[in-house]
Amino acid sequence: MPDQTFLDSTELVINMGPQHPSTHGVLRVILKLDGEKVLGTECIIGYLHRGVEKIAENRTYAQFNPYVDRMDYVAAVSNGLGYCLAVEKILNVEAPPRAQAVRVILTELNRIASHLLWLGTHALDIGAITPVFYCLREREEALKIFEKYCGARLTTHAFRIGGLLYETYDGFEQDIKEFCDMFLPRVDEYEELLTTNRIWVGRLKDVGILSADECKEYGVTGPVLRAAGVKWDVRKAQPYSGYDKYEFDIPTRQNGDTYDRYVVRMQEMRQSVRIMRQAVAAMPEGPIMGKVGKVIKPPVGEAYVSIEAPKGELGYYVVSDGSTQPYRCRVRPPSFVNLQALDRMIRGGLVADVVAVIGTLDIVLGEVDR
Amino acid sequence: MADEQTPGGSPTPPPEGGKPTAPPAKPAAPAKPAAHAAPPKPPATMVSTPWDSELARELKQRFGDRIGELSTYLGQNFIVAKPEAAISVLEYLKLEADFDYLVDITAVDWPKRAERFDLVYIVYSFARNERVRVKTYIADGYQPETAVNVHLTANWLEREVFDMFGIEFAGHPNMTRILLPEEWQGHPLRKDYGILQQDQIWVQENLGIESGQ
Amino acid sequence: MVRLLKKIFLVDLFQGLWVTFRNQNPKYIYTEQYPAERPKVAERYRGAPRLNINPDNGETLCISCNLCALACPEALIVVTSMRNEETKRKELTTFTYDTSRCMFCGLCEDACPVDALELTQDFEMATYTRDGQIWDRQMLEEGPKPTQYKC
Repeated sequence: MPDQTFLDSTELVINMGPQHPSTHGVLRVILKLDGEKVLGTECIIGYLHRGVEKIAENRTYAQFNPYVDRMDYVAAVSNGLGYCLAVEKILNVEAPPRAQAVRVILTELNRIASHLLWLGTHALDIGAITPVFYCLREREEALKIFEKYCGARLTTHAFRIGGLLYETYDGFEQDIKEFCDMFLPRVDEYEELLTTNRIWVGRLKDVGILSADECKEYGVTGPVLRAAGVKWDVRKAQPYSGYDKYEFDIPTRQNGDTYDRYVVRMQEMRQSVRIMRQAVAAMPEGPIMGKVGKVIKPPVGEAYVSIEAPKGELGYYVVSDGSTQPYRCRVRPPSFVNLQALDRMIRGGLVADVVAVIGTLDIVLGEVDR
Repeated sequence: MADEQTPGGSPTPPPEGGKPTAPPAKPAAPAKPAAHAAPPKPPATMVSTPWDSELARELKQRFGDRIGELSTYLGQNFIVAKPEAAISVLEYLKLEADFDYLVDITAVDWPKRAERFDLVYIVYSFARNERVRVKTYIADGYQPETAVNVHLTANWLEREVFDMFGIEFAGHPNMTRILLPEEWQGHPLRKDYGILQQDQIWVQENLGIESGQ
Repeated sequence: MVRLLKKIFLVDLFQGLWVTFRNQNPKYIYTEQYPAERPKVAERYRGAPRLNINPDNGETLCISCNLCALACPEALIVVTSMRNEETKRKELTTFTYDTSRCMFCGLCEDACPVDALELTQDFEMATYTRDGQIWDRQMLEEGPKPTQYKC
């Protein structure tokens, strides 16, 4: 005679452990399920915690620069830009216009590379296996440009405090123009594969809805916020590094579901190409390094500078006590704050949607855990 | 040579040139051997200017002496509030002044001060496109009120501050460690926690090795 | 009506499939046949470190100024030198570089005033032991010599 408890349908607790192909890193999610419906989730992070903020207190400002790339390792150039801007703020110097233009070009290329990897892995999680090959092929072209410019593909260490170290190589502008020309038809190709595909739409529409008010409550920024309808981008609201010179749109959508976030990111890639084209056309001549001494010793003070990383608002709060080492360098990671909203987004959905929602938040555990 | 060489490390060979494996440039603040030094200068402080705007006046009027100073440094405004008043300031900013987005909560450890920790809240207003910092100075062991009831973002941000500094927030729904394992002893971002220090007991029990180094 | 027909006949799915089939053209093959053909890395690639030697007289270019050791975030370079009484200059004796902890950031290469330390395009630096990753002066001057691949 089967036991009564055997037939009871109680809450099932499943561990989506740190080793999982879809969690984009070492993320542990404990799911409470009722059949296939998700009743609640709990995220456990910290598996990739390396103590970057503590390291910052024991290195000089210039020595900490390479460590910063390793947080959001998918889009390393943005991290470097944020850190350099923060230190330049407390030093009260500004990078010269040519350095700013090259920084903008590399940062936008970096945004495209990050979104390509996001698209590839997100599609792979949903089940579409072809986009990942094409996205990585394009990302390869972008990484080749990074390699030619600064010597490394992933952990680029491209910028220095005060400007740039490397002058652009011969053929830089040509390469960027070729990349832009090659890339736009490829984006059309991805859209052809996915945007109207009924399986794609069926899996992504109305999944993981996060309305604009909820986004603001949870402090979620980046494409997630823009897909919910809030037209806000740090590049337009508080421009840095010469972004106010370029014309670009901020794509927004209304629903705030996973499909909208996909559309927003595709549009962002197109806008990035637009910015890159403008920056290359209008690149000024001049020095590439600002007035920064050999030893960086900012006056006592603190500053918070944030940039629009591909994942959201990436902020650096640097406190200086007058010495050559930062007294405190706090990194405000967009993925960490966005991941808090996972519980709200997935509640009431199905198990298969958990993977879609984790993918659509575009988290990188290196940034979440630092 | 051009200005391109900005990596750290002083160009003049320091007195301890013989040990290049030592950690690089120690902070300049502690005085060198007093034998040939001038009397130590008082530690430098941030040169901030008073912040005067409509919002600052409203805050001053509303909170009176529960707010310490309202200043600006490098164009970034900040409010220094008394610890008990910090949450009320945040609430006021959210409800009356449209600062509806809590950007970050963090802390800075100044071990030599009586009020050891600098608890910093950074808020942003979409409507005004302005960012403001709210700082309070709290002592070790003080339990500030949680900001979760005002901004939901504060949940994980406060857990991280607790994890790294040991500041417990009263009223938080889940005041546990977030980045480090639950049983870890010690709060790493405090200044008395060494850079190579670890919770040896946890490492030995859970990883089965002598040390993580 | 058109929409219903498109839905029944799976037009959107075939559209996607056509993209995939279009890319089956052999001219799109992108695979690099490593190790048969070694990829060409960029000129500025930050790979294995090398201590350069003056081509005229075969002596090392390093002047033992220790700037690279001070610039390194990981403090993994150890430079020792000896004072030469005749020329009153420092002469390099040993130069130890720990590639196991190196993150190839290039700060040491940027710091060197005489371009003696350089990060080359070598990336095949595998060794069988942990200690093999700590390079001494001879290894740095000659570079890693990986076994050639014979197919």
